[in-house]
Amino acid sequence: MADLRPILLVEDNAKDLELTLAALAKCQLANSIVVVRDGAEALDYLYERGGHSGRTPGDPAVVLLDLKLPKVDGLEVLAQVKGDPDRRQIPVVMLTSSREERDLIQSYERGVNAFVVKPVDFNAFFEAIQDLGMFWAVLNEPPPRGVVGR
Amino acid sequence: MDGAHPDFADCASEPIRVPGGIQAHGALVVVDPDSLRVLQASANAETVLGLRLVPGQVSTIHAIPGTDVDPMIGEMLRWLRGGAESTFLRTARLARRHTQVIGHRTPQGVILEFEEGPEHENETLAALYPRLGRFVNAIEPVTDIRAIAATAARETREITGFNRVLVYSFDEEWNGTVIAEDGDGVLPSYLDLRFPASDIPAQARELYRLNRLRLIPDVDYLISPIVPAASPADGRPLDLSFAGLRSVSPVHLQYMQNMETAASMSISILVDGKLWGLISCHNRAPKRVNAQVRTACDFLGQTLSLQIGARERHAHASRRIELKRTESELLARLANSDSFEAGLAANPEAWMGLTGAQGAAVVLDGEVKTTGRTPTPAQLRQLAAWLEDNAEDDVFVTRSLSESWPEAEAFTDVASGLIAASISQIRASYVMWFRPEVVHTVTWGGDPRKAMAPGPDRRFGPRRSFERWKEVVHRRSQPWSAAETASAADFRNAIVNFVLRQAEQRAQLSDELARSNRELESFSYSISHDLRAPFRHIVGYAELLSERESQLDEKSRHYLDSIVEAALSAGRLVDDLLSFSQLGRQSLSPIAVDMNKLIEETRQSLLPDAAGREVEWRIGNLPAAWGDGILLRQALLNLMDNALKYSRTRSPAVIEVRGDDRPEETVYTIRDNGVGFDMAYLAKLFGVFQRLHRSEDFEGTGIGLAIVKRVIERHGGWIRAEGETGEGATFTFGLPKQEAVNG
Repeated sequence: MADLRPILLVEDNAKDLELTLAALAKCQLANSIVVVRDGAEALDYLYERGGHSGRTPGDPAVVLLDLKLPKVDGLEVLAQVKGDPDRRQIPVVMLTSSREERDLIQSYERGVNAFVVKPVDFNAFFEAIQDLGMFWAVLNEPPPRGVVGR
Repeated sequence: MDGAHPDFADCASEPIRVPGGIQAHGALVVVDPDSLRVLQASANAETVLGLRLVPGQVSTIHAIPGTDVDPMIGEMLRWLRGGAESTFLRTARLARRHTQVIGHRTPQGVILEFEEGPEHENETLAALYPRLGRFVNAIEPVTDIRAIAATAARETREITGFNRVLVYSFDEEWNGTVIAEDGDGVLPSYLDLRFPASDIPAQARELYRLNRLRLIPDVDYLISPIVPAASPADGRPLDLSFAGLRSVSPVHLQYMQNMETAASMSISILVDGKLWGLISCHNRAPKRVNAQVRTACDFLGQTLSLQIGARERHAHASRRIELKRTESELLARLANSDSFEAGLAANPEAWMGLTGAQGAAVVLDGEVKTTGRTPTPAQLRQLAAWLEDNAEDDVFVTRSLSESWPEAEAFTDVASGLIAASISQIRASYVMWFRPEVVHTVTWGGDPRKAMAPGPDRRFGPRRSFERWKEVVHRRSQPWSAAETASAADFRNAIVNFVLRQAEQRAQLSDELARSNRELESFSYSISHDLRAPFRHIVGYAELLSERESQLDEKSRHYLDSIVEAALSAGRLVDDLLSFSQLGRQSLSPIAVDMNKLIEETRQSLLPDAAGREVEWRIGNLPAAWGDGILLRQALLNLMDNALKYSRTRSPAVIEVRGDDRPEETVYTIRDNGVGFDMAYLAKLFGVFQRLHRSEDFEGTGIGLAIVKRVIERHGGWIRAEGETGEGATFTFGLPKQEAVNG
C-alpha cells in the first residue's frame, strides 16, 4: 500500500519551505520529498529535462504547488500539467497564501485537485499538510471529484 | 384672447400697389426720363393739366400748356441729371392754377404728380421750419416715449389742422395701441384703445414701411384710371407704391366711413427699419393737405422715429449693461462652486435677476433645483420633456406658455412667462426663468372678434363698431424685454461651456476612480499574499521553537505564547480586512435563504465559544430572506458572535432572535442582555476599526459590524442598532423581498 513515489514540493519562499518541510516531517511519511524553487524547474522535473534530465523516472505521488512563483507561475505550471494527456493524472494541490476568489476559480478551471489556503495558525497548517500527505501520498487513490481544501 | 380674428383675406390679395388709378384730386403723368415722352397719364390729366393725349401719337411733357412749364422742365432735367433719388418738388403755375409738382423715379419712368397748391405763403416749408425747430427742441430732453408722442400729436395737429391726431404703437403681434392723442373734440377720443392687427394687413404695413406718408383727402374721391393701363416700359400695370395720389383699397375706404372720417393721413414711425407705429390723422370733413405740409409732417415723423429709436436703444443698452453686470457676478460665483446648478441655487437673487424673473429652475438629467416661484419638480420635468420635443431654438421665450402647451394651464399663476435655455445637446437639460400671470384689461376700439363683419349688402367688410370693448386678458405674464431675452442667451452660452467642462471633469474623475480602484484591488491582492506570510512564519517558527524547547521556564513560555497570539491576531486582522474589501467587489448570488436553518447552523458553530456558560437562546420563527447565503451567513455569524461575546458577563445570557414578515421586506432582530453600548457612540458603531470596548475586555478586530453593514447594504437593506450601557444591545436589519428587488 505504501507508495514510495516522491512528493514534489514547489515553493520559492525559504521560510514557507522550511515550515512546510517541518510539517511534512511530522507526518513521518516514507515518501521522499523533492524540492524545486520555481515553476520552470518544476516543469523540468516533471518532464525530466534540464537539470532533472536523467533523474529516476516516474511521476511524483503529488505536486504541492505554490501559486505565486518566479519565472513560470503556479497557474501556468498547473495548466501545462493538466493540459498534457500523459501527465494530467498527477495530483496537483495548490498551496497558497491567497484568499482571492479569482485564484481559486482559475485553479479549478485548470483542473487542480485541491486548493489549500495556508492558514496563519501553524497547527492548522500542520494539520492541512498532514491531511494532504496522508491523502495524496499514502492512500494515493484516484483523485476524487470535488474535494476542496480551504 | 378668445377666438381668432377673421382674416382680411380679400385685402391680403388686393393689388394695393398697382390699383390702376389715382385719387382724382390731382393728376399723374409718367415721363420717359431721356426723351421726356409721356408714357402714361391719369385720365383726368386733360381736365386738370390741359394735357391732350391722342392715342397713337407721341407727346412729350412740353405738351402741358402754361408759362411755367419750361422752367419746371428745366429744373426737372437738372434733378434727373443730378442722379438724386430724392423727390422732385416745385410749385408752378400750370393751366392757370397754382400747382405743386412732385416727382419720383421708378423703373417704369419718372412719375410726376400734380396737385393744386396753396395760395398762402404761411403754408410753405419756410414758414413751417421754425415750428419744426421748436418741436425738435421740445422733445430733446424728454425721456418718456408717451410724452414725446403726445408732443408729436399736438404739433402734427397744429400743422395740419386735422380734427384728431393719434400716435399708434404696434406690439409684437401687430396690435396697435393709441399711446398719444390730440383732438378738437369733433371726433371721439381713442386714447389707450387697442386696435387688432387685422385692421392693418401685412401688405399695407409693408407699404407704410416703404412709403412713409399716405393721404386720403376725401373718402368719397373719384378714381381716375391710368391710361394706358400697361406701362410701355415693361407691359405691366403702373406701380404706384410711392405715389401720393395712389388710390387705396375699397376695404380701407369702408373702414374710414365706418369710423365716420372723411379724410385721413398717416405718417409712419420707423425704428431700425421696422414699422414701430403710425401718426394717424383724421378729419370729419374732407381735407386737403398740401405737399409742403406733408413734407413737414414727414420730417416730424422722422424726428419722432429717431427720438423713439434713441430712447429705446438707450433703455435697451442700460438694461443690457445692468444684466451683464449681474451675469458676470453670477458666473464668477459659479466658477467657485462645485457645480453650476449648486452655484445657481446658492445665488437666487442674481439667478432670477438675469432676466427679471420671479422664479427660476434648472433641470439637469431629471434633477431639479428651483428658486422663487416655480412649478413643481414633476411639472418641471414634464416641461423639459415638452421643450425637448417642441423648442427648436436654444432659447425658448414666451409670455403665455399655456398657449403653446395647454398642460401649462395648471400653473399659469407661477409660470405664464417662460425663458428656457437649453444647456445640453444630448440630454433634456434647461435653465428656466418664470414670470407669473398678470391679469390685465385691454380696451379695444371695437370688439376685435368682429373686425370683419358682413354688411347690409351681405359682403364682408371692416367692422362697423368702434365702441370701447373691454377684454380681460388671462394666462399672460409681463413681456420679456429684448435685453432680458439676450441676457438669457448670453448666460446660456457661458453655461454651456461650464457644463461641458464639468462633464469632462466628471469623466476624468471617474477614470481616476476606476484606476484607483484597480490599484486598490491589486493592493489587497498583494496584502493577501505578502502580509499574511510573515505572520504565518512567526507563528510557525514560534511553535517549532516551543516544541523543541520543552524545558522553557514559565516566563519564556509566556513570551513565546504572546508572540504566537499577537501574530495570530494580526493574521485575523488581515483576513477580516480582506473579506471586508472583497464584499464590495464580489457579485451577489441571491436566492431564497432559509433563515431558521441559517441561524441554527450559526448557533451550532458558536456553541464551543459558549461552553461552560449559561446561555438562553430564544429563537422565534424567521421568514425566509432573499439574499446571498454565504454573505448572510457571515453577517449573522458576526451579529450572533457579538451577542454571545458581549453577554459573557451575564448569567444567564439571553440571546433573542425574532423575525417579521412585512409586505416589502423581511426584518430580523438580534437582542442580547449584555454590556450594551452608549447611544452617543452610535455613529461609530458600524465603522471600520471602531471599537467601543477595550480589546482586553472583548477581543476582536473592530471590523465585524462594518462587514455586517456592508453585507446588508449590498442587499439594498438597512440596519440599525439600539442599546444602553449595561442594558444589552439590539440589532435590527431589513432585507427587501425578491419582488421589491426585481420590480
